[in-house]
Amino acid sequence: MGRKKKKQSKPWCWYCNREFDDEKILIQHQKAKHFKCHICHKKLYTGPGLSIHCMQVHKETIDKVPNSLPNRSNIEIEIYGMEGIPEVDLKEHEKQRAGGMRPQSPDSGDEDEPAAKKAKDNLTGGVMQGTTTTNGPQMMALPGMPQMATGMPGAPMMMHPMMGATQFMMGPMASMMGNPQMQQAQNKPLFPAAAAAVSTSSSATLVGADFKPISTSAGPTNHMKPAFPAYGSSTPSGSDTPTGSAASTTPKTPALINTTSATSRIMHPPEDISLEERRAMMSRYQTSAHLSHGMLPLATVSQPMMLAARPMVSVAGQTVSNAAAVQAMMNHHAQANAMLRAQQHPAAMAAAASMAAVALGQFPGAPPGHHMAMLSGGNMLRPPPMGLPPGMIHGLPHGGPMGPFGGAPMGFPGPPMLAPMMHPRFR
Amino acid sequence: MVHQVHGYLNNKQSAFGSLDVVRWTPKPQIQTDDFFLLLFCVYFENCNMTMFSQSPLGGTSSFVGAAATNTVNPMRDFEVTSPPDDSISSLAFSPPALQQNFLIAGSWDNNVRCWEVEQSGKTIPKSMQSMQGPVLDVCWSDDGTKVFMASCDKQVKCWDLASNQTVQVAQHDAPVKTCHWVKAPSYTCLMTGSWDKTLKFWDTRSQNPMMTIQLPERCYCADVDYPMAVVGTAGRGLIVYQLEGQPQEYKRIESPLKYQHRCVSIFRDKKNSPVGFALGSVEGRVAIQYVAPQNPKDNFTFKCHRSNGTPGGFQDIFAVNDIVFHPVHGTLATVGSDGKFSFWDKDARTKLKTSEAMESPITNCCFNANGQIFAYSVSYDWSKGHEFYSPMKKNYIFLRPCFEDLKPRTKP
Repeated sequence: MGRKKKKQSKPWCWYCNREFDDEKILIQHQKAKHFKCHICHKKLYTGPGLSIHCMQVHKETIDKVPNSLPNRSNIEIEIYGMEGIPEVDLKEHEKQRAGGMRPQSPDSGDEDEPAAKKAKDNLTGGVMQGTTTTNGPQMMALPGMPQMATGMPGAPMMMHPMMGATQFMMGPMASMMGNPQMQQAQNKPLFPAAAAAVSTSSSATLVGADFKPISTSAGPTNHMKPAFPAYGSSTPSGSDTPTGSAASTTPKTPALINTTSATSRIMHPPEDISLEERRAMMSRYQTSAHLSHGMLPLATVSQPMMLAARPMVSVAGQTVSNAAAVQAMMNHHAQANAMLRAQQHPAAMAAAASMAAVALGQFPGAPPGHHMAMLSGGNMLRPPPMGLPPGMIHGLPHGGPMGPFGGAPMGFPGPPMLAPMMHPRFR
Repeated sequence: MVHQVHGYLNNKQSAFGSLDVVRWTPKPQIQTDDFFLLLFCVYFENCNMTMFSQSPLGGTSSFVGAAATNTVNPMRDFEVTSPPDDSISSLAFSPPALQQNFLIAGSWDNNVRCWEVEQSGKTIPKSMQSMQGPVLDVCWSDDGTKVFMASCDKQVKCWDLASNQTVQVAQHDAPVKTCHWVKAPSYTCLMTGSWDKTLKFWDTRSQNPMMTIQLPERCYCADVDYPMAVVGTAGRGLIVYQLEGQPQEYKRIESPLKYQHRCVSIFRDKKNSPVGFALGSVEGRVAIQYVAPQNPKDNFTFKCHRSNGTPGGFQDIFAVNDIVFHPVHGTLATVGSDGKFSFWDKDARTKLKTSEAMESPITNCCFNANGQIFAYSVSYDWSKGHEFYSPMKKNYIFLRPCFEDLKPRTKP
């Protein structure tokens, strides 16, 4: 561009954090996305203008700006293009922009060029989320962004984003990660690949529960817009896909695919693992082959836990022990993982003799380090016990009543046979 | 107009390869107007079978609005008999080396089945082999004598069709997602890609791989067309290998797609050498990518397998499950979770045809060696999670004469 300094670099939308090349485009965007009346589609010029219009013309009140980030949805604030943005937010944006830029700079120019815009957006979005702790659903969307950005730098990095994202998401939510995580995420969301592998915790469940309503199974997602307006639209997809599709332009979150957006939804479970991987995790498809081989991959992932579990297995005996063992392992292993396993478990009951192996066998389908990502949306839809921590899972042990197939929701209520034993070990 | 009353050949010409395209109309007896739409699928299936195969397999059905609303086989294509009991994961037609067409299908029921496909459209189940886990990929050797089966049991086995014996030829640490036969002037081998993030090349006589290449991520899809090989991995990784001499990585490409890679297929140029590939993602989009484009604009993406969606509301976006290129015309076919298949001309950048929707997603497709038959498998692909899975639901493989449908729009 001609000018050296582009008015605080590129114009960005205060409502949704997207960046634009030009203020004119920014204004058009705001008019179309944030200041458009949902009833008559009239485009207003400002937030308050929209609110007044709706009141006068339709006798309806609007409490928040459509398609805006949750913390930016105040309808009273008058923003037009870049004017009216409060100082505080300006500074914050600058900071994030600066923070986000750095990881990008070492990369090759041309790669960054097209990506930079999106990357920046994503980063800023993500970072913001990091700093302003927000609630669950939003976490999903925004944290996704950094991953998108980090995805840009190139293939080798690809794998990290998945872990990074999940970590990032889970961190704030469960406060497990705490600051370091968030900071990491801010500076280099990509990064936590390492961290990801380590921290397998938890909030997978929370995230999962959050995802539950957002999963792409037919019913609930139909009315996406009313249910998750802020969420769905708050993903600042900075730039469209090459062909400029309007439909679903939300960037993919490495760990989770953003399967729903304002106008479209992707028929795919939210976790970004292939359909075959997801399916292979079902215990129904676990085979005797896994039994023998299963040990290995698992062992690499979380040896101590597995080993701990095994003795249990022999103690308890057949299918029950299997379930229990698995559950034990689950507890250990990311809870997300746990859920998956537990879910598949009952189905697995019918499986072969080396119980522990079966449980272990399930893992190979889920490469280590990705466990966090493997929230099974399906799981979420299952009866609540799935979402619960170890206790319930332990309840699973009764292979008998469960029946061989996932069809029988994990009947749960069995006495947690090994639970007491497991508990102390497993957190 | 010739009366084409029976499903297929009013005259004894082959169903595939004749320009007298057969029109399907149900047998006369079926024309009683009993549209018991209720009595559907099972009966439809029977009907179809009787139409397509000369022997009345399912017996006659007295009703059936097969004429009107056939939801199971809306395209009225030939149905393959004795389909697998669980979702189909891979389809492969025999290579040109064989005179007849054999179709191999791998399934989640751990089995690989082989049918002979006759010119009439009739399919005869020939044999079946099993693996210890769901089969994820199958491929033929170039001489058509062996079939390789890659499975979740982390092995790949070679099935010698003549002797009907299998022997293990590859081993990974995680389910093997892809297997492709590589026929190079100086060597032949089997390339296997697995979720253990490695790509291995096997001389089938040896227990150890000839070569192991580390992938950045789990292998999700791959294709081989000597001397080129492409692998799509998790995390949107995309790597092109060159196989001359010995396989080595040629280039890592920044993915043109923003969503998970699902399928990839190499295409050739007019001179019949591989120059690029089509990559499909879970977000209803296919990218056509040349490995060495003369003009960056040669690479493009297009959207597909999306429902129309009302202007104010929703568009459903489905994963592209498989892409194949027509061996003669160079046009391509895609199949998706929406249960439809589409034919496209990438040079003219237009769509040639889209089918009606099947009841279940279409998981795989392939063309036979001479490009006369298009096979596609209809079974659940897990796109809606396990809740929508029903073991009761039937799986189908349909065959369609496709030579005309896939003719390119542009002047070649």
